[in-house]
Amino acid sequence: MTSYIIRRLLQIIPTVFVALSFLFFIFFLLPGDPARLIAGGAERNVDPGVLERVEARYGLDDPILTQFGNYWERTIRWDLGDSFLTRENVNDILGEKAVASLRLATWAIIIEIVVGIAVGLLSAIRRYSIGDRLTTILTAAASAIPVFVLGFVLQYIFAVQPNKWDWPEWARLRTSGIGPDTWTFFFIPTGEQWRYLILPAITLASVTTALLARMTRGSMLEVLRADYMRTARSKGLGERDVVLKHGLRNAMLPVVTLIGIDFGTAIGAAVLTETTFNWPGLGSQIVNSVQQRDLPVLLGLTLAVVLAYAFVNLVVDVSYAWFDPRIRLGKGEHA
Amino acid sequence: MRRQRRSMKLLALILGLSLVAAACGGDDDDEGAEGDETAEENEGVQGGEFIDLGTFSQGPPEHLDPGINTTSDGHQVNGSLYDGLAETDFSDPDNPETVGVVAESWDVNDDATEFVFHLREGLTFSDGEEVLPSSFVRAWERASEPDFAGDYSYLFTFIEGGAEKLDGTAETISGVEADDDEMTLTVTLAAPYANFAAVAGFQTFMPMPDDVDELTDQSEWERGIMVGNGPFMMEAPANDQEIVLVPNPEWDGTNYDEALGLPEQPFLDKLTFTIGTDIDTAYNAFEAGEGDMTDFAPGRYQEAQDNWATTIDTPFLGAYYFMFNDRDERVGGEENLLLRQAISQAIDREDINTDVYEGSRTTATGIAPPGIPGFEEGLCDYCGYDPEAAEAAFQEWQDAGNSLDGPLPIQFNADSGHEPVVQIIIDNLADIGLESVAEPIPPDDYFGQLADGACVFCRVGWLADYPTYDNFTFDIFGTEALDGNNYGYSNPEFDDLIAEAKATTDADEAGELFRQAEQILLNDDTGVVPINWYNGTRVYNGDKVANFVEEPTGHVLWETVSLKG
Repeated sequence: MTSYIIRRLLQIIPTVFVALSFLFFIFFLLPGDPARLIAGGAERNVDPGVLERVEARYGLDDPILTQFGNYWERTIRWDLGDSFLTRENVNDILGEKAVASLRLATWAIIIEIVVGIAVGLLSAIRRYSIGDRLTTILTAAASAIPVFVLGFVLQYIFAVQPNKWDWPEWARLRTSGIGPDTWTFFFIPTGEQWRYLILPAITLASVTTALLARMTRGSMLEVLRADYMRTARSKGLGERDVVLKHGLRNAMLPVVTLIGIDFGTAIGAAVLTETTFNWPGLGSQIVNSVQQRDLPVLLGLTLAVVLAYAFVNLVVDVSYAWFDPRIRLGKGEHA
Repeated sequence: MRRQRRSMKLLALILGLSLVAAACGGDDDDEGAEGDETAEENEGVQGGEFIDLGTFSQGPPEHLDPGINTTSDGHQVNGSLYDGLAETDFSDPDNPETVGVVAESWDVNDDATEFVFHLREGLTFSDGEEVLPSSFVRAWERASEPDFAGDYSYLFTFIEGGAEKLDGTAETISGVEADDDEMTLTVTLAAPYANFAAVAGFQTFMPMPDDVDELTDQSEWERGIMVGNGPFMMEAPANDQEIVLVPNPEWDGTNYDEALGLPEQPFLDKLTFTIGTDIDTAYNAFEAGEGDMTDFAPGRYQEAQDNWATTIDTPFLGAYYFMFNDRDERVGGEENLLLRQAISQAIDREDINTDVYEGSRTTATGIAPPGIPGFEEGLCDYCGYDPEAAEAAFQEWQDAGNSLDGPLPIQFNADSGHEPVVQIIIDNLADIGLESVAEPIPPDDYFGQLADGACVFCRVGWLADYPTYDNFTFDIFGTEALDGNNYGYSNPEFDDLIAEAKATTDADEAGELFRQAEQILLNDDTGVVPINWYNGTRVYNGDKVANFVEEPTGHVLWETVSLKG
């Protein structure tokens, strides 16, 4: 197991290198001159002398391969540089945005796991019941509704209407912003914080929860038909133990994979949710940095997202061994 | 892709909200009508926090520093942090008047080439430093440093030696002289300019304390607490969530001209500009009671007017128009005049105003809007909707052997609400047999690409920096226009008339000359297609807010805004 984990960690290195190198070169293919933006934004004609000085200051006048080499030389030392536009250190930006993203993603995944697995499980056990049919319709609807529409509708129901009806302050959820930023144990909202968190977390979780419920249902239905389930019942085990200990655990492999992918996506690509709720996370900052041609921010934040994604996938792979003891990580196939 | 997301979003949002509203049922209270009435009562009290959700609803400001800022959103902040030599009194909107602020008065010589500003004594920055004539010289030299200068630095070319300073051939602006003992600031202009006092009140000319001299990089100023001499000061450096201002205890509005009607101190204890990412979210936040003011969200103009107090009745000194690139062989030059006139006459401006803006704007009959001294209605001969005349002109242009190789591309900044306007224009042009196609450009790079020659027939908007006719002629259509004259319009006759008008101290005579120049632009050359003039864009809670005034330049007079008790 240890050698497997070490090997997987080493595999992260080429993954990061390829992803960031690709992004680096793509950046220079995009329309819009970063030097002009640094020199005062897109909406002006910049004096050629000023442009030259900006290019020299940021090394943008070097050949692209030299810039590429310099970038990696700095990145290996975790020197992510400063934002072209705000001059803020990218580590500071990363610290602020990554924490906000991680908290939101954590709560979205908690909602996804609790609701998605429970609904999928019940739906599979009570197949073709009214509840099952309702679940099928609702999950299809939830998957189809664009995130921003759901976000705006939730804002209208739980924030705008309560304000019009003059509900007590604590019962009015908030539409935007990160709020007072008060947390216990890093991710538990305290005080007013939950009012800011709940709607973006539900919105971010909506599509993935629906997919997870569908996948749990399908996976459970397959497992419920398996021979070992009949064996378990014939041994006299109670239905609860049969379903939860033998059925659910065996149905979890594809489900855990999906949760892992969702968590990685929720950290780095929750752009629409972050925009709709003005939540200052990594996804929207990465999009802004592309629009503003802010290369250090783009690469620094992407680096963090790629690392988070790789780490989550590692955890998922390791968890396979727990869910299915037949899987032995790090061992070769021997006859 | 972004463009599609925006329109889908709008449609889906309207559908979604309609369903929810239907489900929730009639709770349509009468906040709107009530708000309109109470807004006029003006019974504000001292204290309280005002949260502005609208100014930065779509992102943080590009700049806050008045020396380099070019946007009206950034000016909402720095206009409250700094007081300049003069400002415009809009109490009579039809006759705006330039009145002294830091300058108690000024003298101007007969040929309008030298202005001597007499500064008030005893005014200070928020850190206690005295505001002196040299504070202005410091600021002007700083804002005209070639390495730092912003878009508006071209304004320094109005001053003798300003052009040389900007092109790096001079160390200082030779035409500015400060006498701190006499409290006078003498400005010698490069060319006669009777309206210079109005320009000198613009944000680029705000004074700076000596703290800026200690900076090695002037761009650091706006990343910290900018010390100013205005009614408010920064509580903390701006961040990507909010900008918070508090009253400047050193400021006293009663020091200034009574005509301005300023209070001794701002009424608000705190003024918070929330920085958002989406105008619809900001509007929802406003409706959820999370703030006191926002901007109209697209498609919700009427709803906003029905439910809240608005500034929709405030005519703005701003124009929304489309430009032809005179350097483009498809539309530019004398040989394509008939084509340009055909396009201008084919566009149904009333339809655009009704369908897209729900009647919230004023259909334009020229570029310079009502309220600009010298304005006259109906200068444009080709701005009326006349598809028959348009079709005939287009036919005549074709009969002369002209043709377009493909559809006429119409450029606009994507995802900024212009898609439906462009679509109406495309339909209008199709009606006269002229095929055209939308060419959206990413908003962050829009004007950059126009500067690189991307404009063929492109959307532009202009909000007055100061209420002068030359701001709507010289600054955008002159051969030496702002942004380097991106659209190639250049006519020596137009330039000469503007220069003559700027040098004329007689207001009526100057107005006549400016109008002649505008008519050349609109009719003889048809270099521009005016669409509409802007009106106020703010929605506020009239039950809670008093004295909310949005000036025709879009600037809110924050020092007079108060909350009701």
